[in-house]
Amino acid sequence: MTKDEELPSLIKAISDHEVAGFDGVEDPHTSLSGTEAVEIEDVREMHSVSISMPPSPLEHKTKRVLFDDDSTNLAPPPAAPTTMFYSQPIPKASALHEAITNGKSAPLPPPPRVNKLRDKRYDSFKTWSGKLERQLTNLRGRPREREPHRVEMGSVPVDRYFDALEGPELDVLRPSEEILLPEDKLWPFLLRFPVSSFGICLGVSSQAIMWKTISSTESTRFLHISPHINQVFWFISIALMVAVAAIYALKLVFYWEAVRREYHHPIRVNFFFAPWIALLFLAMGVPPSINKTLPKPLWYVLMTPIFCLEVKIYGQWMSGGQRRLSKVANPCNHLSVVGNFVGALLGASMGIKEGPIFFFAIGLAHYTVLFVTLYQRLPTNETLPKELHPVFFLFVAAPSVASMAWAKMVGSFDFGSRIAYFIAMFLYLSLAIRVNFFRGIRFSLAWWAYTFPMTGAAIATIRYSSAVDNAVTKTFAVILCLVATLIVAALLVTTVVHAFILGDLFPNDMAIAISERRPKSSTTRRWYHRRAASSDAAVDQYLKFSDAKDVEVVETQPAGP
Amino acid sequence: MANSIHIVVEPRKTDEAAAPASSLLTRVNAGYFTICLSLGAQAVLLNTLISDNDRATTKSPIVVADRVLGPWAVLMLWLSLCTLALISCLYLLRCCFHLRLVKAECSDRVAVNFLFVPWISWLLLLRAAPHRVLARLPHEVLLWALVAPIVALDIKLYGQWVTSEKRSLSAVANPTSHLPMVGNFVGAWAAAGVGWRETALCLFAVGLVHYVVVFITLYQRLTGFRAALRPVSFLFFGTPSAACLAWSSISGGFGVACKMLFFLSLFLLASLMCRPAYFKKSVKKFSVAWWAYSFPVSFVAVASTQYAEEVKGAAAGGLMLLLSSLSLLVFVAMLILTALNTDRLLRQNDPSLSFT
Repeated sequence: MTKDEELPSLIKAISDHEVAGFDGVEDPHTSLSGTEAVEIEDVREMHSVSISMPPSPLEHKTKRVLFDDDSTNLAPPPAAPTTMFYSQPIPKASALHEAITNGKSAPLPPPPRVNKLRDKRYDSFKTWSGKLERQLTNLRGRPREREPHRVEMGSVPVDRYFDALEGPELDVLRPSEEILLPEDKLWPFLLRFPVSSFGICLGVSSQAIMWKTISSTESTRFLHISPHINQVFWFISIALMVAVAAIYALKLVFYWEAVRREYHHPIRVNFFFAPWIALLFLAMGVPPSINKTLPKPLWYVLMTPIFCLEVKIYGQWMSGGQRRLSKVANPCNHLSVVGNFVGALLGASMGIKEGPIFFFAIGLAHYTVLFVTLYQRLPTNETLPKELHPVFFLFVAAPSVASMAWAKMVGSFDFGSRIAYFIAMFLYLSLAIRVNFFRGIRFSLAWWAYTFPMTGAAIATIRYSSAVDNAVTKTFAVILCLVATLIVAALLVTTVVHAFILGDLFPNDMAIAISERRPKSSTTRRWYHRRAASSDAAVDQYLKFSDAKDVEVVETQPAGP
Repeated sequence: MANSIHIVVEPRKTDEAAAPASSLLTRVNAGYFTICLSLGAQAVLLNTLISDNDRATTKSPIVVADRVLGPWAVLMLWLSLCTLALISCLYLLRCCFHLRLVKAECSDRVAVNFLFVPWISWLLLLRAAPHRVLARLPHEVLLWALVAPIVALDIKLYGQWVTSEKRSLSAVANPTSHLPMVGNFVGAWAAAGVGWRETALCLFAVGLVHYVVVFITLYQRLTGFRAALRPVSFLFFGTPSAACLAWSSISGGFGVACKMLFFLSLFLLASLMCRPAYFKKSVKKFSVAWWAYSFPVSFVAVASTQYAEEVKGAAAGGLMLLLSSLSLLVFVAMLILTALNTDRLLRQNDPSLSFT
């Protein structure tokens, strides 16, 4: 009964005041001119029951999107949602409102330009909450808009990521969670561009190194591979690196908040090592025709960002707190560790003596810790995927690169390198045998990052075959190179399909838009309608996820200190 | 009816007046030996700097400092000897009169690790003593007398970690758990110094294995460590430095393994320096635990002198200078702070190290 009572008043209030500015740029009727006032009215009424307007106040509570006019935080929803609208009329709409109520073509504001209807819902994620963009539009001489109060975004604790997301890459939103951005719209491209896109650079540049190694090593010379393949791959990877870096730099400039949230994400933070590792790969894969020897200061320049990131991340592991290793350990942490070995390999091949030993030592110590932690599958560990996933191939990365690095540092493929190499091969085979279990998993761009271990294993096998030269090792090298090439080709095809045919290469990045506080579901069970789901399905969902939530609550409690 | 609960609050009687000697004994627990440990480590550092300059053939500005460092090294040696003797006597008295307290220390998971510190301090003093003094002492007997308790404590503690359910490593792991391994490494270092290679190797191997286990355990699940004892976290980089020194003594040079251990301790030092918030709570009030800041830095400095000797170059020399001056700075700061706070140390109960 209360619903019925409230419903008419809700429609009345919203239709006059809120539709103009509330729904923002996507709302078609705001862009209509005044002569179509009648149409506006129809459209308006249509919109009053449209999807973007929740049909019930309770429902609205479940799907609160954060607007810049909303100066309150998400935690305490207002007693009646309508009061919010009452108290904050949007003055811009008054002219339109008059036109609508009068029903004649009153002088309306000129057709609003795009920047006036800039969707303010994404402002919280923008740098300085959108001030930068406003400054830039001011510089271009467009009229200044009214500046509503911006919501300050705090730092999201790690527990929220675990609670709100699921999946092996922690990027699938749990159904009971709400996000800060509209779910039904396609977000701006920059917001959808995750840092794991740097994985493409990793995958392609490691291919360049592989083809360079094949064409230059004695033991594989029988394949007669031309060095031009390496050149082609190298130039492609340079182009990719520049493109991805440019886009991500733009995201850094315009959407600093989103970048910060990616940094706090327990899995995405490891991908912040990916650009630097990709640069190291590029330096390693330089075609001999371009440059035979690289300048030594280049190595120091390339390793400095990795060093700084490491000090931060490993310090977080060590000093306990919410990001301690027993809680956040996941296979993607290998990306944090493999950078050390890659740097050691590059430094040793450039002739530097002490630096590679430094990074090898750090990498070895932290790799041991990470390896043991992941193998233990501690019950307090919340991020390990329960089922097999391509992310597990990252296990192969560190030992194979470490074996090559040690061989370069010592000068020959001695026992230390061989031990590391055999460990890598064992892990590779134990995963490859289970390839059946990798089916039916959702594709994501991060999969490119998981190809470089296979390429690395192939390169390590080539080096091994040059140390232990016989038919078996050569065959093994050829097989592994073929596998790596095929995987990359298949991944390329999948990427192209997703990009151009399916068009969902960059879906809405749920992982960064989670709310800072848990939605209030502990005492009041909400019915979550989603595109008119049937009530039975809703009941099932409610029961299933309420149970899961209870279980989660029980499980997390004893895990405290 | 009398179903109410009466809560009586009695004001605690604090004795600010001159404390009787027995209460001094109750306060001096094994943690006070960290003072001697730091003094000994500093003496070793000064000696190493001097002997390095003796061997140095190239002219460097440090050679001039040799004349300055010489008397300081002697002074440091005497100071550490006196302090160590004093605190050892006090602790012996404590064992006689307050055996109950000593037993309580043995069962506490943090205090038991501090039981290694007296032996490490005496070993460092032995190491820092000049050769002519050593020649007059029956130093092999002394060495046996100092290494044997370490081995005995090792067997007890490491066995407890593995076999006991209540006191297993996962239950008791905390940064002070590095101290037994430091004992192993310093024992190996001292043993290798007099030529007992097999003993040194044995001690080193046992220490290394347990260090790997403790390293992994602490990296995984460090939670709820007392804020007042956070200075002991400096042991994170103190232990690999001690291992580096031990291995260089055993293997006779500063090879790749030593370099790797040294670099690891450098990295952990940098990592801890970049997290001042971690130590914020512990620097509010001075306590004996603060002495734990000093000796790990001294260990790293000693390792850096050996590194600079091996890898001759401006960068390595600069690193040695930097670390040595850092160690000296921390040590002097600790001395000054202790001098300013002697009353707190001697009279009041030290909350960080009170185990009863």
